[in-house]
Amino acid sequence: MSKIHRLAGVSLATALACGVAASANAQLLQHKDLSSAIATTIALTAVDTCKEQGYNVSVHVVGRNGEVLVGLRHHAAGPNTFENSWKKAYTSRTFRIPSGKFAENVGQNPVAGQLFLANITAARGALPIMIGEETIGAVGVSGAPGGDKDEVCAQAGIDKVKDQLR
Amino acid sequence: MIRITIGTATLALACSLAIGANAQLVTIKQLSLPIAATIGTTALQTCKAQGYNVSVHVIGNMGEVLVALRGDNTGPHTMENSMRKALTSRGTRLPSGQFAENVSKTPNAGALRLGNMIPARGALPIKAGNDVIGAVGVSGAPGGDKDEVCAQAGIDKVADQLK
Repeated sequence: MSKIHRLAGVSLATALACGVAASANAQLLQHKDLSSAIATTIALTAVDTCKEQGYNVSVHVVGRNGEVLVGLRHHAAGPNTFENSWKKAYTSRTFRIPSGKFAENVGQNPVAGQLFLANITAARGALPIMIGEETIGAVGVSGAPGGDKDEVCAQAGIDKVKDQLR
Repeated sequence: MIRITIGTATLALACSLAIGANAQLVTIKQLSLPIAATIGTTALQTCKAQGYNVSVHVIGNMGEVLVALRGDNTGPHTMENSMRKALTSRGTRLPSGQFAENVSKTPNAGALRLGNMIPARGALPIKAGNDVIGAVGVSGAPGGDKDEVCAQAGIDKVADQLK
């Protein structure tokens, strides 16, 4: 009898422990996101950096869910650059890698499935924005004569706020 | 007869000269990115200072987006809404609130069926003299009148450069 009671007690304790564990897993997620101010600084720095080098570019900064936080069109940039900078940023955020790295990865495979997803582009010029190992957004640049030159400006934008990315 | 022919030739020459004069390139003023960015960030910060989180769009002469800013903690619709208000303002050359007033008595107004037009206050045309060269739209404050105050602050900030 006392043995049965003891077993029942163990079962109850186990159930309670599991219940507590389940509710511990069910708490809300918490994460850090780019603020409007930081995103704007990244974008303006990228535009200015390219401008200093003689390139007129458009820039997009996207957030954790790929949503546009900032879009800037230089008045002398080509009409395609606005869309392109957004797609590059979205691509970089999605795959959590530089869009140029993605372009390299799919370079030998023109029918890679990812290329058929909406708004994905195999073009260099966007970099993920990271806190440690976590990607919280991306910045994309378009308009310089070469994705490598776009990417330099994207990097300058991130460098400008690196102290705040933690 | 000869005199008439010469007269016709002279008239034709005069006309072609007139057409030639009309065919010169059009010179217009365009918002620069630095001016547009100042308008956009000033509008956002003005609303923030008043306790309102807003998104802002600044568009150019052809309705192209020059600056798009999503404010912290704004509703997801505010990006689309600020863009559409700005396009409405540029398209009609009116404050979007004035457009809303104008169509409130004509719900079948054709203008309401155009892409991206929206009868909602919060955007103002940006003018160089009397010419509309763009618009700024704000969305997120509790009331289009409050959005509009921030749009106006953005334009006021660069008033000296809009000439």
